[in-house]
Amino acid sequence: MDALVFLISGILMTASALLVVTRKNPVYSAILLVVFFLLTSLNFLVLRSPFLAVIQVLVYGGAIMVLFVFVLMLLNLTEEELDEKVEPGRKLLAGAGSVLLFILLAWAINSSERIQAAGDTDLTGPVKESAARAGETREIGKALFSEHILPFEFTSILIFIAIIGAIYLTKTRRADQRRATEPAVEQPEESA
Amino acid sequence: MTLSLDLCLYLCAAVFSIGVYGVLSRQNIIVILMSLELMLNGVNLAIISFGRYFITPEGSALSGTGASSSQVFVIIVLAIAAAEAAVGLAILLAVYRRWRSARVSDMRLLKG
Repeated sequence: MDALVFLISGILMTASALLVVTRKNPVYSAILLVVFFLLTSLNFLVLRSPFLAVIQVLVYGGAIMVLFVFVLMLLNLTEEELDEKVEPGRKLLAGAGSVLLFILLAWAINSSERIQAAGDTDLTGPVKESAARAGETREIGKALFSEHILPFEFTSILIFIAIIGAIYLTKTRRADQRRATEPAVEQPEESA
Repeated sequence: MTLSLDLCLYLCAAVFSIGVYGVLSRQNIIVILMSLELMLNGVNLAIISFGRYFITPEGSALSGTGASSSQVFVIIVLAIAAAEAAVGLAILLAVYRRWRSARVSDMRLLKG
């Protein structure tokens, strides 16, 4: 039953991911990305990670998607700006490249002795006695603040730097404001 | 029916490849950043699948806090994804303000 849920939501995940990268209008991509995140969080639940399923919905479905939609609103792209003018060969080449990458990854999965040693072990089946509580919020907290405290602290520094960088990059300087009121600059070289 | 480790990993590989396709084929920076999120999610799912396999009786001898390590990795990947999205979108805003375009092919200041 759990495996069936995983399979169905996996198929839907692949479909929505394909739609995200092929839709012309980025707003549709954003909405489909939310669907993708919700399906991913369902798969996390099947794989016994309830805390991460909640975090997935809150952080990805909530915070990150709001950021994307907010920027879309701020840019207010016109029909003409949304036209991507992709050269015909480019999509074909990208498709061939990613299919090749998938074949390579599948080959790696298929030929890895350690992964194949797992065989038909049921990931929805019983859990080892000593790890029965793995995935619970309490256990994650313990692991995060004892064994993995150093990467956790580095992550906080990284986020701090990211905040400063984001503020610095979006700050309007006086020269930029003057440019913003001028008509659109067509040639990038002109202003360089 | 059983859910094997292979199946999970094939799904992750498919999602990751679709993300790569998005990054390579699109011109709109916002969609490229969304494709990056797709790739990171594929990786997250792979980490969770491995973590789930390691706590089955057939898996390795992880116990105690070690059994929750995969979840900690995913939390850190998530934090990095959030930082990356914030900085990426800030760069996009700065670029759009300067060149009035969200197309990657219009950004060729570094091109020799």
